[in-house]
Amino acid sequence: MSTAASSTQHVTCLGCGCSCDDIEIVVRDGRIAEARGACALGVAWFGDGVVPTEIRSAGQSVTLDHALAEAAAMLTGARRVLVYLAPDISCDAQRAAMAIADKLHAVVDSVSSATVAAGILAAQRRGRVAATFTEVRNRADLLVYWAVDPARRYPRFSERYGEGAESPLLAAGRTVIAVDVGNRHGPDSAAERVAFADTDEARAIHALRAHVAGRALGDAAGDVMPRAVQLADRIAAAHYPVIVYDAEPDGDEPVPARAESLTALAQALNARGRCSLCALRAGGNRAGAEAVLTWQTGYPMTVDFSRGAPRYRPDDTATTLLRRGDVDVLLCVGNPSVVRGVESGGVRRIIIGPRASAAMPAAEISVDTGIAGIHAGGVAFRMDDVPLPLRPPLSGPLDPAAVLASLAARVRA
Amino acid sequence: MTQLRISGGAVYDPANGVDGDVCDVCIADGRIVASLPDGAPRLDARGMVVMPGGIDIHAHIASSSVNQGRRLLPEEHTVDPAPAPALVEGEARSGTGGTIPSTFTTGYRYAGLGYTTVFDAAVAAAGARDTHAQLDDTPVIDAGFFVLMGNDAYLLRQIAAGERDRARDYAAWLLGATGAYAIKVVNPGGVEGWKRNVRQVQSLDDPAPANGVTPRAILETLADAAHVLRLPHPVHIHCNNLGLPGNVATTLESMRALAGRPAHFTHLQFHAYAGGKGKAWASGATQIAEYVNAHPEVTGDVGQVMFGDATTVTADGAVEYLLHASSGRKWVNVDVELETGCGVVPYTYRDRAAVASLQWVVGLELFLLSADPWRMVLSTDHPNGGTFMSYPELIRLLMDRTWRDERLKGINQKLLAGSALADGLAREYTLGEIAIITRAGPARQLGLARKGHLGVGADADVTIYSRNANIAEMFATPRYVLKDGVLVVEEGQLRRAPAGRRLHVRPGYDAAVTRDLERWFDRYGTVSFANYPVAGVRDAAVEAPAISR
Repeated sequence: MSTAASSTQHVTCLGCGCSCDDIEIVVRDGRIAEARGACALGVAWFGDGVVPTEIRSAGQSVTLDHALAEAAAMLTGARRVLVYLAPDISCDAQRAAMAIADKLHAVVDSVSSATVAAGILAAQRRGRVAATFTEVRNRADLLVYWAVDPARRYPRFSERYGEGAESPLLAAGRTVIAVDVGNRHGPDSAAERVAFADTDEARAIHALRAHVAGRALGDAAGDVMPRAVQLADRIAAAHYPVIVYDAEPDGDEPVPARAESLTALAQALNARGRCSLCALRAGGNRAGAEAVLTWQTGYPMTVDFSRGAPRYRPDDTATTLLRRGDVDVLLCVGNPSVVRGVESGGVRRIIIGPRASAAMPAAEISVDTGIAGIHAGGVAFRMDDVPLPLRPPLSGPLDPAAVLASLAARVRA
Repeated sequence: MTQLRISGGAVYDPANGVDGDVCDVCIADGRIVASLPDGAPRLDARGMVVMPGGIDIHAHIASSSVNQGRRLLPEEHTVDPAPAPALVEGEARSGTGGTIPSTFTTGYRYAGLGYTTVFDAAVAAAGARDTHAQLDDTPVIDAGFFVLMGNDAYLLRQIAAGERDRARDYAAWLLGATGAYAIKVVNPGGVEGWKRNVRQVQSLDDPAPANGVTPRAILETLADAAHVLRLPHPVHIHCNNLGLPGNVATTLESMRALAGRPAHFTHLQFHAYAGGKGKAWASGATQIAEYVNAHPEVTGDVGQVMFGDATTVTADGAVEYLLHASSGRKWVNVDVELETGCGVVPYTYRDRAAVASLQWVVGLELFLLSADPWRMVLSTDHPNGGTFMSYPELIRLLMDRTWRDERLKGINQKLLAGSALADGLAREYTLGEIAIITRAGPARQLGLARKGHLGVGADADVTIYSRNANIAEMFATPRYVLKDGVLVVEEGQLRRAPAGRRLHVRPGYDAAVTRDLERWFDRYGTVSFANYPVAGVRDAAVEAPAISR
């Protein structure tokens, strides 16, 4: 028998870093029947909202109390614990996980160290120039997509924040330039395009920057120079150009130098005009993990509490520690299925998060929880660091923040 | 009922006319009471100095901008690890320090300094949730924030259309929607100008930066809004042209524009420079002090520069670009949501540098030339002019002329000729006056009826110092600190760290503004209107104060 449908409006989707908060979720028979307004990626992220609700220890179903007691014992007895902030949890749950890490003198990391470390370190050396998305929507008369077509992994970026978003403040419209780097192309719809070979990218950005600064490069930049000069002049002629790049490209490794050289270019463009740089980020409240880590420890990733106070260990990422066997217990908080690089041969694992019980191989202890924004409320950060509320359309599964608070009360320092 | 009698201390409670009298302070259930039974627990404060808890009227401790600053400074945090304090109750958290400490460490360090109430002076409305979450992780202190409005596109549009009532309704709505305490203006019109690449405001009537809306109109609208809404704190103003030589003219013009209206002018040190246009920088402090002395409706805080490391964090994006370009230091700029800006540049004030030395002098002159300490209170604009950890050293400079003159001799003299301090200022602040500029004065300016004094009904936030010939040492290490009657510092050690209160207001407004705002969010915004207001701000809103300013 079918029950009446209910709907929740203004739901925030964490399917990618766009964090669109205009989704209407229709629930029928306890399942998500429709995600109105969501893109294909968002529809897939919401799914039907059905998640496992297992609590397991050593392969057996146990009570929450039992699982938390065992988890607390394992954590308390560990030589060195890694607390990993995986995606799909709210800042509230991240804060609860941090309290455990601090108490246990553990190491904390998040997915950021495996994906955007180069950008974070560049920003710590140079700073950054950025604009939140309401600024981009209303001021960006020129969008330069640098080796990224947002349609693929950030499907509604253009529609909500970019060239597809109308603004009465941009009566003259806006221009889109695609910069194709190797086989990473900007949007097909771009009015203009410039192409650089992979091996020319760094040289091209340096040439752009030199030209912006009024320096003559002569032959140093070779055949890249004319294209770089032309592009630099186009950017400098705009009122409020925004350069967009993918900070977390999937597939191959991110280009480590890109974030830093684009930051330097965008900063240099502010000497006479204005320019902002937009780093596209994947979903699940990754920016939130960096924000929480930063306000609680001063550092956005890879924090080691082992000496009783936070130390920054950007070279000792979760991946490195696990590979080297430098930790013996992993507490993964969040969705383990989207974590990359956290393989854990020999490391005992506790997973508290959405679909924890489905992790392969199975963890010693797993507590399935709801997903932030689908079953659990709280706050999440959009990729431009704007905080948004979560309006879960479903209830039922455990709230990870509450589970973690309960665990925190049980662990001993 | 939890009771405590603080007995035998020399009490400095200027709001109640108590100036070093030896008397008991009685506490029951977190408030000051008139008396206690003889057998009530007693804290022996004989030989000590008793004051209300410190109140910081202007600091940057918990915003998205502050977090941008934290993220930028791993090199500072690395050399200042802050292990969890040894609390006797509750769980303690570790953190890091530097010029922008982590949240828990910020709460602990303020408490350790005897400060129990702090306001974050610049929060972008869109980032209010971030601020509340950071404040939730900042223990001990009661805290609130001022929400940035002076470059808000919706507000500017109402002013341009002559819709000042609508502008006021919007201000009221925004205060409630964000859980803020007061209206903040930063470089009125100038931040919008920076986004449009109009980099300087020429005068209060310059329409260029904000597309036709003058700084004067912004100041008038928001000063009137705060007044009509009966907010506990008047409009809190960071004037145009911060840090530029000759800006004293702009500052005086801004003060005159609001003559007769209550207004708070913040970090005046950064706005009190003479010179410019071919003339050398010089102190303009005398002019500012004379104006403030003659106008009782004006209040201010100093924004003292202290020598050493600082981090400039401000919504004033244009000035941060200039600082980056001139210093070569790293630089963050974030343009925020058609609302405001954000800039961060680390900075070091060196006593060998001419401008930093002038800034140090200008700040001290503002303190020493201001006739009414109730209206010119202590701040370093933490962490902009120096961190809050430098307050004890600043208090020593104010109380100890010999020390001050000695320091003055050691700094760069190039721009000091003719300055009042160089010519000799004999004034030394008394302990009673220090209690005014760090407690009673800020409380009165903020309209906090239950804070900054030790009268019956006040929150039992109390700081007790051991006397020490070195004033800086005395103020750096309070012997006891009580927060709401709880002993948080005992024998100089942090022992308890309860959560603080959130201080915020919720003024009324004509609901028609929300219908208009809904359309505005559709046309310009990127967050759903329904998702914009912060739900569930903790603690009840502060009512309009019964006390007069």
